[in-house]
Amino acid sequence: MAAERLHTGTEAPAATSARVGVQIDGVTKKFGAFTALHEAWLKIEQGSFMTLLGPSGCGKTTLLNLLAGFLEANGGEIFVDGQLMTETPPYAREIGVVFQNYALFPHMSVEKNVGYGLAARGVPKREIASRVADMLALVKLSDFGHRKPKELSGGQQQRVALARALVIRPKLLLLDEPFSALDKNLRGAMQVEIKEIQRSLGVTTIFVTHDQSEALSMSDRIAVMSAGRIRQVGTPDEIYRRPTDRFVASFVGDVNVLPAKLERRLDDRASVMVGAVRVEVPAGTVDGLAPGAAVDLFVRPDALAIGEKGSGFPGTIAAHVYQGSHVDVLVDSPATTGGRLLVRVPGTQAPHRWPVGQAVGVTPTGDAVAFPPEAA
Amino acid sequence: MKTRPFLALFVSPAALAALALVGALAAILQYAFRAFVPGSMEPGGLTLANFEALLRPLYAGVFLQTVWICLITALVTLVVAYPLAYAIVRSRSVTLKSFLLITALTPMFLGEVVRTYSWIIVLGNSGFINSVLRGLGLIERPIQLMFTTTGVVIALVHVTLPIMTIMLAAALSHIDAAYEKAATSLGAGPVRVFLTVTLPLSMPGIVAGVTTAFAWTFSAFATPQMIGGGRVPMVSTLIYQLGFASFNFPFAAALSVTGLALTFAVLALAKAALSPLERMGAH
Ligand SMILES: Nc1ncnc2c1ncn2[C@@H]1O[C@H](COP(=O)(O)OP(=O)(O)OP(=O)(O)O)[C@@H](O)[C@H]1O
Ligand SMILES: [Mg+2]
Repeated sequence: MAAERLHTGTEAPAATSARVGVQIDGVTKKFGAFTALHEAWLKIEQGSFMTLLGPSGCGKTTLLNLLAGFLEANGGEIFVDGQLMTETPPYAREIGVVFQNYALFPHMSVEKNVGYGLAARGVPKREIASRVADMLALVKLSDFGHRKPKELSGGQQQRVALARALVIRPKLLLLDEPFSALDKNLRGAMQVEIKEIQRSLGVTTIFVTHDQSEALSMSDRIAVMSAGRIRQVGTPDEIYRRPTDRFVASFVGDVNVLPAKLERRLDDRASVMVGAVRVEVPAGTVDGLAPGAAVDLFVRPDALAIGEKGSGFPGTIAAHVYQGSHVDVLVDSPATTGGRLLVRVPGTQAPHRWPVGQAVGVTPTGDAVAFPPEAA
Repeated sequence: MKTRPFLALFVSPAALAALALVGALAAILQYAFRAFVPGSMEPGGLTLANFEALLRPLYAGVFLQTVWICLITALVTLVVAYPLAYAIVRSRSVTLKSFLLITALTPMFLGEVVRTYSWIIVLGNSGFINSVLRGLGLIERPIQLMFTTTGVVIALVHVTLPIMTIMLAAALSHIDAAYEKAATSLGAGPVRVFLTVTLPLSMPGIVAGVTTAFAWTFSAFATPQMIGGGRVPMVSTLIYQLGFASFNFPFAAALSVTGLALTFAVLALAKAALSPLERMGAH
């Protein structure tokens, strides 16, 4: 990090420029006295699919706008394919953007919309026609070229927006909550479709969402943001199973929080005690804490198992929530902060094996992470 | 059907006003077909002579000139108001927004006579414009602006500026800024974005603004009367001269009726000619 901070040239560092599609170096954005983005650092591999995930207002759109050049940063630098973007006006950045409401030009046909970027580049008419036709075929809208945007369904409009952004062969594709206007079924279909198109074209993509399941299912890597800061960057699996930040652990996926005590640390592993139950955790997140210090243990519902009374944390079955492929079992237990544990049991047998009211023991079986308690 | 108990109560004042208006128009209409008896306030028998007189080059010329002035005024106002409206809608600074809005709208709150007198001060041979230009050494002799078509158009642009600005601003504020961003990200420079996205999408506002400005200018009186000083005849000043200087009410009425019909005709024509453009911007 220190070396990057010192770097001031206009070329990204040679060692990394070959495969880095986007490099965001300490970018800060302020609106008056309010800092919407605090020194963001991020590297995105060429051709990969990066998701910016975070709650509303955390600065995701701000970061996209900085990349697209619609906003100017107050500090830091952005490189796309090794080229410094700071002095490049938005229309020369070669970045395709799909807007939340698609922003299809209402006065132009689908063909004209898709061809807009090519016309702006002075591409000859015949080439425009053939590239537009190819692109419309790719998004399965070949028969819709003459329609106006308002004569299309939401999913079709979205595909036009995607085609329009991709036909210019952008160095980078930005998608700002592209699914928020679609109903749930269509959303799933479009997720798969966009992912396939992205992979087949190999375009570096940054996707913005506040939906964690969308992020987990679509991304090569996820950057979790909150309050203008990037909290953690990693693969969906790393983010889900090995969060390095308390916020990330509670924002991505369901989680149980149990008060615990740090027992000891050995190299990169540590153990904590929840009552009499010992749980192994990575040591990185409890660095600097002395044995005996209070910590919060974060355990996913699928990293817990229900067993006979006497094993693990004591509890009483409170309710079952049938979910099709699994059953969410709520267990009243004094071990957790909320007084109730959520356990995800695969299959559908849980209600028979563990009827409501039965005394059970809950054991951690998978990854768990400990964090220092929240400053009160 | 829902009963609306207050409908009659609310509609009746409007109906009365409309009735009075229709009555007045009917009176003017019937005057237009009566003969002028010189020296008498009372009109004579039924005749078409008033409308025949309108075809004389003198009067027909005034009509043409009026249409021309209205057209130029509407177009110049459009060119002045567009950037103003754009800045009002898109500016991020609230101070700038308010300043521009006040600048654009004050002409509305000034009385017509006050406003016209101010223009006399500005446009006169030793007025503001000429003194500044002379002070800068750009001209030797004053440019004649008072009593000229140019002067009248300048003052009329000021009259129609507020309404045009409001109409354009309304149209522009309905254009999502995302369209412009999208065009920019696709590689269009500012000029291209304006010509291919902003301008076509604001077409409904432009059509509404231009036709309204045209109609307003057609009926403007104080401005052509005072700035033109009788040397820039327009239909309204002609009506005034005939009605109140010559007391030829029948002919004045014929002029009024024809002016009204002409305005409607031009508006209908403009509407027909511009409707493809307007549809272009419909969303
Ligand atoms: N032009 C602006 N002026 C002032 N503050 C702004 C401006 N744009 C954004 N902000 C603030 O910056 C913060 C981040 O905004 P941003 O739009 O990036 O959020 P987001 O993560 O995209 O949220 P959402 O998921 O709701 O779209 C918010 O608190 C917002 O109020
Ligand atoms: Mg946003």
